Amino acid sequence: MNKIVNRSPQFYFSLLRFIAMLRGGDARRAESNAVEATLVGLLTYLIHYLFFATQVIPAGVAPWLGALLLILLAFWVWLFWLLLFYINSVIIKLLRRCGLFPAIPTRRAQSILWGVVTTAMACALHMSDAWVHELGAIWLVAVAMNLAAAILLALRSDSQIPT
Amino acid sequence: MHSSRNWARRFAVRGVFWRQYLDWATLNMPFYTYPVLHFFMTFFFFFFAAPARRIVLAHLAIILPGSSRAMNYLRVFRTFHNYSWTISEAAIHKLNKEEFAYEIIGPDWLDQLGAARGAIVLTAHMGNYDLGAALFAEKFHREIRVVRAPEPDQQTAQHVSASLEKSGEGAVKVDYNTAGALLSFDLLNALRRGEIVSLQGDLVAGDVAAIRARIFGKEVRLPNGPFVLAQVSQAPIYPLFIARSGYRSYQIIVREPITVLRTGRDREGDIAQAVEKWCQVLEQLLAERWDQWFAFAPGFLFDEQNR
Repeated sequence: MNKIVNRSPQFYFSLLRFIAMLRGGDARRAESNAVEATLVGLLTYLIHYLFFATQVIPAGVAPWLGALLLILLAFWVWLFWLLLFYINSVIIKLLRRCGLFPAIPTRRAQSILWGVVTTAMACALHMSDAWVHELGAIWLVAVAMNLAAAILLALRSDSQIPT
Repeated sequence: MHSSRNWARRFAVRGVFWRQYLDWATLNMPFYTYPVLHFFMTFFFFFFAAPARRIVLAHLAIILPGSSRAMNYLRVFRTFHNYSWTISEAAIHKLNKEEFAYEIIGPDWLDQLGAARGAIVLTAHMGNYDLGAALFAEKFHREIRVVRAPEPDQQTAQHVSASLEKSGEGAVKVDYNTAGALLSFDLLNALRRGEIVSLQGDLVAGDVAAIRARIFGKEVRLPNGPFVLAQVSQAPIYPLFIARSGYRSYQIIVREPITVLRTGRDREGDIAQAVEKWCQVLEQLLAERWDQWFAFAPGFLFDEQNR
């Protein structure tokens, strides 16, 4: 633990770190930002929830049944997350046995796989006719900008920033 | 039959499965999934940990007199939610060695405690009391003996002890508070050697000796041990609490030390005076931070055993 000192906020995602760097802030990776955690967590959950809602709930269902299914779906997405974490952990173990990503911490490897799954769902949302395609587009643009920021941070050879 | 019952006990609310799962989750889950996962885990335990829910509800009724039962259910949810964050952050500290921020309220008393030759840290089931012991050991480079209420499950107890000792990097030693006299002598010797002993002063676990006290105008039971130990050893009692103040951020609250006098004639009267001072400290803290009082086991109110 460290004593509280007034310092500029740190972020986990490259896009926010890059913006922080442009503003003269601290661009080192950190998992200490509550706002970032909450926003990204809720957005991810929303994409997963809407993905399953568009796939599972049939059109023209009775309103009471629709409401019930939407409530149950909230818990289903939670269970799906727990299952997905387990499956991802098995994939990471297999990749490591093949000699891939030995140095990346498990939760960061999980984050990469998590991003892949969520982006696939966002693609599906974006291709749907419903209003949710806007949300899919927002996620896809954010992912593209994040990747671009990661490349820019990596290319800054003069900095000491770990990417 | 017996082994299948033991296996099933792992999955009970206070079973070791959940502790092990928390460790696994800490190593595997990205930090931004925590807000959603904590919410749903809280929801899960809010329904399945019914005895703990009833106990917290009963505590809230006396801490916040006149509060409605419906609102208190929401407050129980908030307390469980805080607990979920608190234990996960303790696991993050133990396994990922992430940075945490803290501020000290009462820094002079904390420095006094750090330099004390033999002292009792009296705390409550509040905030991150496990993290606090590790922090203390780290900050002052001193060993600390933490006495905890026994866990109902032996495997959980082993897991919790190992976690605490790992967090404290060898400087934290864990003992369990049972009715036997051996531990008391052991702690007395530790105090006489100049060590620091941390005890919980809010719940009476099992057959441990209790003393009657008044908090929020209600008669309650508090453990007698810390005060007797302080009287015999003449070590000061430092009330200390670790409260969560935000995301990966804590407050270390240290209050004025309490001395248990030994006038000779009226031993019980001397203890009662110290207990009264402790009650004032506890009452103030509980009124301010009721949402971080993780007293999920019976042992505070007289009628709790029947809940």
